Amino acid sequence: MLKVLLKKQMTEVFRGFFYNRKTNKARSKANQIVLFSLFAFLMVGVLGGSFTAVALGVCFGLTSAGMGWLYFVLMSSIAVVLGAFGSVFNTYSGLYLPKDNDLLLSMPIPVRTIIVSRLLNVYLLGAMYSGVVMLPTMIVYWVIVGAAIQNVICGIVLFLIITIIVLILSCLLGWIVAKISLKLKNKSFIVVLIALACIGGYYFIYFKAQIWIRELVANASVYGTNVKDSAYGLYLFGRIGEGDLIATAIFAAATALLLALTIFILSRGFLKLATSTASVGKVKYHEKAVKEKSVFGALLAKEFMRFKSSPNYMLNCGFGVLLLPVLGVFLLIKGADILAFLGASFGGRTDFAALLLCTVLMLLSTANDMAAPAVSLEGKSLWIPQSMPVDAKTVLKAKTAMQLILTLIPMLFAVICAAIVLQAPIAEKLLVCVLPLIFAVFSAMLASYMGVMRPVMEWTTEIIPIKQSGAVVIAVFGGWGFVALFALPYLLIGQIIGLVPYLMIWAVIYTAASALLYRRLITKGSKAFSRL
Amino acid sequence: MLRIEGLTKTYGEKKAVDELSLHIRPGEIYGFIGHNGAGKTTTLKSVAGILGFDKGEIFINGSSIMKNPVECKRQLAYIPDNPDLYDFMSGIKYLNFVADIFGVSSEERQEKIRKYADVFELTKDLAQPISSYSHGMKQKLAVISAWIHSPRLIIMDEPFVGLDPKAAFKLKEMMREHCDKGGAIFFSTHVLEVAEKLCDKVAIIKQGRLIKSGTMEEVRGDESLEEVFLELEAE
Repeated sequence: MLKVLLKKQMTEVFRGFFYNRKTNKARSKANQIVLFSLFAFLMVGVLGGSFTAVALGVCFGLTSAGMGWLYFVLMSSIAVVLGAFGSVFNTYSGLYLPKDNDLLLSMPIPVRTIIVSRLLNVYLLGAMYSGVVMLPTMIVYWVIVGAAIQNVICGIVLFLIITIIVLILSCLLGWIVAKISLKLKNKSFIVVLIALACIGGYYFIYFKAQIWIRELVANASVYGTNVKDSAYGLYLFGRIGEGDLIATAIFAAATALLLALTIFILSRGFLKLATSTASVGKVKYHEKAVKEKSVFGALLAKEFMRFKSSPNYMLNCGFGVLLLPVLGVFLLIKGADILAFLGASFGGRTDFAALLLCTVLMLLSTANDMAAPAVSLEGKSLWIPQSMPVDAKTVLKAKTAMQLILTLIPMLFAVICAAIVLQAPIAEKLLVCVLPLIFAVFSAMLASYMGVMRPVMEWTTEIIPIKQSGAVVIAVFGGWGFVALFALPYLLIGQIIGLVPYLMIWAVIYTAASALLYRRLITKGSKAFSRL
Repeated sequence: MLRIEGLTKTYGEKKAVDELSLHIRPGEIYGFIGHNGAGKTTTLKSVAGILGFDKGEIFINGSSIMKNPVECKRQLAYIPDNPDLYDFMSGIKYLNFVADIFGVSSEERQEKIRKYADVFELTKDLAQPISSYSHGMKQKLAVISAWIHSPRLIIMDEPFVGLDPKAAFKLKEMMREHCDKGGAIFFSTHVLEVAEKLCDKVAIIKQGRLIKSGTMEEVRGDESLEEVFLELEAE
């Protein structure tokens, strides 16, 4: 039974690697290899590489001070935080929201078996994130201190323990999110607020981490003694990495017990949570006068309703709505000092600071990509726009307009703040403000076009179109690529032609590219939408 | 009202609909019956302008669905076999959305919502999110949304599935009333007794091909529709 369910889960998780979601046909071997290589590069090369650098920076200092255990406590903490925060919402949607919950619950399958198969998804995701921290951590330790057989075995057990801790934390947090979702009226916004608080905390820790790590390494013996005295459990935990068999046995047993307890508790509450729709009070209908909307207005309002109904959608595709005003306020408070510092760093040249400001504004606008999954999110409701007397291009325009509104308004605030603090000639100031606005239009066109050309119409959880579709990947990473394409050549040709002509050239390029994408969206994109 | 001429639709190698021709006049309730996978849904979706087709033509009041899809869709309403509506909306928001798209005035939509929501006993649930609706409630909402813009032609795929007996009875009354006022209805069903009692005309489709059509009397003769259908299926 479990084997069949696991196979179903795994097929769903890795389906994108083996099947083209658009055509639903099997990918060629070469295509599969390219996809897996790209994924491996991202995980091993980029993430693994950066954590290897962190491990190298910390390991030698701590192990030579006889604080190897502190090294493992530190790196394990990073792994747990990364793994747990990375999968909270996946746990919630993966455990409680899949569309096949009802089907599986109606079958003669024990609830516990369904949970275990679902948990495997969460486990793999958590293991992946914690693995990019823990594997370099252990390898660096084995290289520097030595890879005795006992160290290797205990190191592997430590990694397994961490993956289980991540799983338990994810389940706990996912369960809290599920509970909140059932109890609250405006749950989408509350869930988004909680998530933002978590993300805020995460980044606070991330930015402070370097200072803390430096401090820790510099005063390793003091901190080490304090931790050992006040939190002996942490010391024991760190000892696992150093090959302490007793510590390994204690923590392995405790973790196994916790895992069994988690599955037991989840099994008890799962049925209720997975089958509940809402326990909030019933909203009473009162007839009231309605304001008629135009076709476009109605479609746009529908897009906004969808957006604000889903925490996943808001968090993953609308982060720019928050980031841009935050940047604006930050610029008003600290901008003048930072720009002056940058100007001084570049030998008194203000053009680099202006270019950097423009680049940051453009980069933040790529955090908004709500148009990219908008077509995919129609899913099984696609028959509604398709059977209505509406042009496909009007539907696509409404999806694009949502992203434009949600990006251009905060962007306008951010560029006004930028204009206030930037000390530059008027033409330069104007272009630094206008170019990010043009780029936001370009990003929206790109996201919308990709959304209709690479849709994922068959999904069991909305996470798939929101996070894992080709359209979203291209919109986000492609957006970053286009920002890099703008910023980097300045180092070569910008200095020759000057900042104002350089910005003007890019304003023309992005305007032309936006117009071209818009044209393709309403011609080729409309045809593609009608064919879905 | 609806003229289908030589409609052909293939999925890969398989012909889902093969040279199907039908003519549905104003005032007619036209039933469409056939085994599972016979091509009923494909035909209905093609008529509603959701699916493209390979050969043939579909005219709604003389206008081609291929050439003037928006004009055609303005005159029709479609209710699918599984009412996957916008779960993120409340019932009333969905009805207002549909009314906005079809340009129904606020007075007219309010009157119709009042009338049909009362008929289907859905009024008290209109402010609830659609995600909390049962299958039957979604089906009722889909029916109200179809009637809200006074379409001339209504296309329905298994409209009685999920409806309680009272709602099914009311729907049959509404269908008759709609056609008596000059509208037309083309719907698929597996409930042959319903088709027999309700339809003016009926078409039987088998493996994508139309095998029999005409008035109820012409199709069934002295037998019941069930007997005719089973005989044709056995051939």
